[in-house]
Amino acid sequence: MDVSRRGFFKLSGLSIAALAAGLGFDPAVAEAKGYALKLEGTKKIPSICHFCSGGCGMLLYVKEGKLIHLEGDPDHPTNEGTLCPKAASLLSVANSPDRVTKPRRRAPGADKWEDISWEEALDIVAKKTKEVRDASWKVADQIVNAKTGLTESLTVNRVEGIAFLGSAEVDNEESYLIKKFCQLIGTPYNEHQARI
Amino acid sequence: MSPSFGRGAMTNSWSDLKNAEVFLIAGSNCAENHPIAMKWINRAKENGAKIIVVDPRFTRTASKADIFAQIRPGTDIAYLGAIINYIIEQKLYDQKYVLNYTNALLKVSTDYKLEDGLFSGYDAKTRKYGTASWGYQLGPDKKPLKAESIEDPDSVFSKLKAHYSRYTFDTAEKISGIPAAKIKEIADVFCKGKPASILYALGMTQHTTGVQGIRAYAIIQLLLGNIGKAGGGINALRGEPNVQGSTDMANLVSNLPGYLPHPINTDKTLRDYLVRNGSFFEKHIVAQLKAWFGENATKDNDYGFSLLPKTNPAVNATMVKLFEMMNKEQFKLLFNVGSNSLVSIPDRQLVRSALTKLDMLVVSDLFEIETAQFWREPGVNPADIKTEVIMFPAAFVYEKAGSMSNSSRWIQWKDAALEPLGESLPDLDMLDHLFKKIRKLYAGSTDVKDAPILKARWDYGEHTSALKVLQELSGYDETTGKLLPTIGDYLKAPIGTASTGCWIYAGVTGNGNLAARRNNADPSGLGLFKDWSFAWPGNVRILYNRASCDEAGQPVDAKRKLIWWDEAAKVWAGNDGGDLVDKTKGPDTPEGKLSFRMNPEGVGRLFAATYMSGLPAEAPADGLPAIGIRPAGICVDGPLPEFYEPTESPTTNILHPEVSISPCALVVSTQIGKSDKFPHVLTTYGVVEHFCAGGITRNIPWLNEIMPEPFAEISKNLAAKIKVVEGDMVEVSSARGKITVRALVTDRLQSYKVNGKDTETIGMPWSWGFASLSPGPSTNEITIAALDPGAGTPEYKVCLVDIRRAN
Ligand code: SF4
Repeated sequence: MDVSRRGFFKLSGLSIAALAAGLGFDPAVAEAKGYALKLEGTKKIPSICHFCSGGCGMLLYVKEGKLIHLEGDPDHPTNEGTLCPKAASLLSVANSPDRVTKPRRRAPGADKWEDISWEEALDIVAKKTKEVRDASWKVADQIVNAKTGLTESLTVNRVEGIAFLGSAEVDNEESYLIKKFCQLIGTPYNEHQARI
Repeated sequence: MSPSFGRGAMTNSWSDLKNAEVFLIAGSNCAENHPIAMKWINRAKENGAKIIVVDPRFTRTASKADIFAQIRPGTDIAYLGAIINYIIEQKLYDQKYVLNYTNALLKVSTDYKLEDGLFSGYDAKTRKYGTASWGYQLGPDKKPLKAESIEDPDSVFSKLKAHYSRYTFDTAEKISGIPAAKIKEIADVFCKGKPASILYALGMTQHTTGVQGIRAYAIIQLLLGNIGKAGGGINALRGEPNVQGSTDMANLVSNLPGYLPHPINTDKTLRDYLVRNGSFFEKHIVAQLKAWFGENATKDNDYGFSLLPKTNPAVNATMVKLFEMMNKEQFKLLFNVGSNSLVSIPDRQLVRSALTKLDMLVVSDLFEIETAQFWREPGVNPADIKTEVIMFPAAFVYEKAGSMSNSSRWIQWKDAALEPLGESLPDLDMLDHLFKKIRKLYAGSTDVKDAPILKARWDYGEHTSALKVLQELSGYDETTGKLLPTIGDYLKAPIGTASTGCWIYAGVTGNGNLAARRNNADPSGLGLFKDWSFAWPGNVRILYNRASCDEAGQPVDAKRKLIWWDEAAKVWAGNDGGDLVDKTKGPDTPEGKLSFRMNPEGVGRLFAATYMSGLPAEAPADGLPAIGIRPAGICVDGPLPEFYEPTESPTTNILHPEVSISPCALVVSTQIGKSDKFPHVLTTYGVVEHFCAGGITRNIPWLNEIMPEPFAEISKNLAAKIKVVEGDMVEVSSARGKITVRALVTDRLQSYKVNGKDTETIGMPWSWGFASLSPGPSTNEITIAALDPGAGTPEYKVCLVDIRRAN
């Protein structure tokens, strides 16, 4: 998954040209220097944009575990190195000070969060899942048969008390595990924003 | 789209847009919301392509258009119906295509009719249709009878013709506000360009008649022979980065992964499931059960079919309805991973109230979105809210390995580039840990209800591996434990010997991880890029591409050759993978003729008839109900698109005033406004700087600087009438609530006439909520929760409001 060097230069040439308009000096030299310094020692990792469904290719420049720059992947056939403004802003998400970085709990009635450990958080949720699952288990639907007029008992083995909203913003593998998780614990009530 | 073509996905790809000669962009502002589409549209334009944009607003996309028409929101079917009528009247359709690749000749049941806005089979009590009369006339072999010619009064084509004869340009003008001459111009330009592409997005789906609007597109494109061709198609521009993938994986109540129908309460056995859904699904549901239950799924135990929960089909639990059920205290525990319903659901009071009824809400997200802190929204007393909330810190997309499927159905893999920030973890790990913990809690149980958890195959390694999950989707030979190389190998494997978690993804990692391929060669020059990543199904880039060839299997368009029958080699060859049942079956075989192989008729469906293929002529001797092969996808609100007014409308339906709005729409909102109090039409939209509910973009400082707050966009006429100038604060109110925002006075909206009456559209973006770096009022405070009866999509695009100057 390495990106061709030629493709990379093709791109940097493009972005410099874009910036050059109206600067009044030869930006190619100045830009190339700044560019080179900033990107020195970085690892280039190809990835995918995470906003609309375009699936544009990106190059992530990572140094010492930090994302320091990103740009369109010139080798990607859909966007050929271009990116729209939303995509260009993904950089600040990776390093945002506003991200939630620890599991938290808000107790019933409380007016603030408390930090908890992953272990605690998972235990609380696992126990609650079992509790609600056991309490809301439905063995059968009672349905009136339209033809005979008699009530029939139809086995359904379903959890009534748990719902799961997935997302069109997580990876395929995650969406799949969400569905599998729901079906195994017995809840069909799994939806997400595809229909809205 | 699936009722028309058999699959619900964008038919072509982004890079294919450059092949089009003309575009109809209606219901999408792609210049702002899908900028990448514009790149390829511009390339086509450089080659002379024409662009038609129909929108309630003169958008940035419209600024690129050769023809622009301003439409009243929610009236698309009126002008599209007029175009269909024109195509038929003027014989502008592709005669050969219509005869060979659509159901035009099939005879419709004599019980079918449309009277005063209602199709046959309507039950006013349930507000639902019985669909029996929407079938074909069947022969003794249980196959549809075929008419000699399209003139036959029973033929689908004749029904279509009669149906749309009511849709004249003048009628369409009265309803939609687009001048009749303009509609004719659109029809002329669109029909002349071949191939022609239609692009739409949420502007088309967010209506109570959303599904039918897309059906109208399908009818136009089938009549003109534009499906299955490079540069043609109907291109649904999906909103989110992986909405194609999350739909494929069926985070939807009605399906299992790969578009398998969800089992319902009358499916007592696997056999019952197949009687209802057809034998086509047998292989796929068994492969899925093998993927989930491994050796615990055997022929003797019905492959573990009883381990799956069964739904009650009488209960509609689609997204918005789910909140209604929650509000009635059905759910005690809600998992909320990666969505922000408190901002994104229409008439959002319902969400606010529903969340308070939970015992526990579990959120996983990057930021503290509004939904996670609903208990401290301004005006709410946290002490009154007893819901416990657990929030997991989610890893960002670049902090985890995995794949996403874009609108072109390309499954694209990415490696993790960064370590997750702080203690955050991918949702994949969270689910893995959680499931293992739950399984421990049930260890040793012999209770039937706990069997699915204890018998499941669930092993993604010590450190949860996304690749292992993708391999489960790709599929295994269960007799050897090896990965199945291709989808062909999967399809050939006897039932019960193969597993796949999602059959349409079969083969994606069979020969190495094909989703990670980075060869961008495009020898045909058609933008197919078939060695870049992997497209489902079976790496087909243009769906239904059999229809790009004539009866002899040769490309109709010499400039844009996708596939062809190679008589010497006796195989279908081509630049694209063939969308065919079997590559060795020539154009003269029954299999080689199928242009739309996912439909039971094997052709495109102008009329969405009820039909099950493969039913035996005689009932089975054992007295059990017969199993057919494949049922047709139907639309619950009618076999042909009919125009209905939006739920809140400034006028009455002139086609049938007695049945003005959709007779099947699901209205969830309890407060409905009338035009005397709320005279204006509100439509909502996105802006380029913010994404959906804004959970991410409102936390990005420089996007907030460019687009700091929501606004109400109004015409100059309306501004003068309510005496505001640009920048003034205005109060916009509906029957459900009111919000105060700044006014934006523009030329992009113009006053127009509807049924002779002056009408105004107000436009508002909706990506704001009370939290984040850039809080702002949520437009969904005032929108209406009225849903499409088939898709469950809310009518965000139309409701009635009033507007006045705020002091
Ligand atoms: S770069 Fe822009 S157009 Fe491309 S996928 Fe991202 S948001 Fe969409």
